[in-house]
Amino acid sequence: MKGIVALVAAVAAIAVLPGFVESYGLSFLVQTLIFVCLAYSWNLIGGYAGYAHFGQVAFFGLGAYVGALCIQAGVSWLVAPLIAAAFTAFVALVLGMIMLRLSGVFFGIGMFGIARVCESLAMGLDGITAGGTGLYVEVADLHMLYYVVAGLAVLIVALTWRLDSSRLGLQLLTIREDETAAAALGVRSTQLKVGTFVLSALMPGAVGSLYISYLGYIDPFTAFAMMTELTTIAMVLLGGLGTVFGPLVGVVTLSVINELLWARFPEIYLSLVGVIILVTILYMPRGIVAYAQRKNWPLVPVARAHLRHFAQRIQEARK
Amino acid sequence: MPYLELLLSGILLGGVYALIACGLNLIFGVMRVINFANGDLLALGALLAVTLVLSFDLPYVVALFLVPLIAAAIGLAMHGLVIRKIIEGPMIMSLLATFALSMIVVNVSLLVWGGGFYGLPQVLSGSVSFLGQDVPLARLVSFLLAMFAALTIWWFLQKTRFGKAIRAVSQAPELAVVSGISIERVRYVTFALGTGMAGLAGVLMAPMFAVDAQFGVRVGIKAFAVIIIGGMGSYPGAMVGALLIGVMEVFAGYMFGQVIGAACVFLAMLVVLIFRPSGIFGIGARA
Repeated sequence: MKGIVALVAAVAAIAVLPGFVESYGLSFLVQTLIFVCLAYSWNLIGGYAGYAHFGQVAFFGLGAYVGALCIQAGVSWLVAPLIAAAFTAFVALVLGMIMLRLSGVFFGIGMFGIARVCESLAMGLDGITAGGTGLYVEVADLHMLYYVVAGLAVLIVALTWRLDSSRLGLQLLTIREDETAAAALGVRSTQLKVGTFVLSALMPGAVGSLYISYLGYIDPFTAFAMMTELTTIAMVLLGGLGTVFGPLVGVVTLSVINELLWARFPEIYLSLVGVIILVTILYMPRGIVAYAQRKNWPLVPVARAHLRHFAQRIQEARK
Repeated sequence: MPYLELLLSGILLGGVYALIACGLNLIFGVMRVINFANGDLLALGALLAVTLVLSFDLPYVVALFLVPLIAAAIGLAMHGLVIRKIIEGPMIMSLLATFALSMIVVNVSLLVWGGGFYGLPQVLSGSVSFLGQDVPLARLVSFLLAMFAALTIWWFLQKTRFGKAIRAVSQAPELAVVSGISIERVRYVTFALGTGMAGLAGVLMAPMFAVDAQFGVRVGIKAFAVIIIGGMGSYPGAMVGALLIGVMEVFAGYMFGQVIGAACVFLAMLVVLIFRPSGIFGIGARA
């Protein structure tokens, strides 16, 4: 019940927010919501299944290019994301069946390489992608775009919420903790991982396509930017890997810091994000949300409330 | 198609890849950590060599000794400040950490050297005749030095007492500890060796290529392909894989152009992952 109230409140807040900001603020919100979608998708495979994924930007970039080509072919910018998402999901299915049979290290470096190969292919196959010149499409209405991206963001947060307290979510967590033990308990680890991977590729594809409707332009370096990858990972890690609200906390924190401080220092931006990742890993490896829970900060959304509930009941039973 | 010429230039290229791939594999074998920053230390090494030779007027030979030492020192710092503290944790953390380190190295290099391309085409210019082919002197010397360094370290691992300790930690860490080997020291030395090899590969590449701060990413993914094809954690695997990749890249590049050529290398890696995930000499890749 509390969950539904929170969801309704969040949706209402998102719906009325554009009334209070100007177009610069709206633009900031669209970018932030795009990162919400990316971060939650990354959280599925990186946080819940525990696979270090350095190639999410490949799906984002592929989505952007598929979207751009669709829009240039006359498809509406609202339909193009669906096609882009279907395409990236298919690519993820094929790649996942190869890469997810292997241990995490192979997956990590393999996906990293695939993102870079996609970038050089986008550069090289200039008959289709126009190479470094880039593709141009019509910019979509910012308000409309905001609502579409916000809808996707709410969808994936809600989905993660459901997943977190479901049997499926717990199975993913067992894979993360000990894959052999998970398999011994009857968890179909490969199918589950591939399914999660496909799910985590849908949103980047759709958002990539929406991103070009926002920018009006795409080239290989924008589509497959290292910055997108690194920022997404830093956001999830900072907020808390494999938690429901961690990525949201991370996205908001990093977006605000970015907006206030680093917009002025673009040349050291990526180094600073790298430092944030390192500091988080060393001193707060479970992210802000877990840290806040441990310290009993008030007003921090507590994920996995049911687990805490169980813990309390066990403690009471012991007394 | 000029088979002999392509074969020769592929092998010469592969020799330098061997050096960086061996460094990666050495670190992976002992610590089960993939150092994403190795490629970027290579780029840093190349840029440092250019600066030492052009701005400080030092001879290339000095750079050849100094730069690997600097890279090894950076490696020691990386291990001491970051890797050492998370190596017992989940693998995803060490992957994320070295990825972050890689980004920091790239972007600091960008800050220092800017986005431009640098090289040392004047060092070791000219060519020699070998098997009836004109071979650029820089490539031949780089190949020989890279092979010499890789084989010296191979000898060190096989024959010396400390080398045996390194292999012991790589094969059975618990038994190594009960035999009185200091794992901590072995890890420090391994990390320094691996990053030093990347630095040396960088110096050797400076006369061959125009290098920019982001060169490491491009070489890095080839080094990953090498160790996957050759076998993770296997030193001879890295050497054989590197020569294979070098030859494959040159042939594919000649036939389909640079871009598709690079993609072919990656395709080969995917094929190996499907059919023989442990690579040629690997220690097993399955989850």
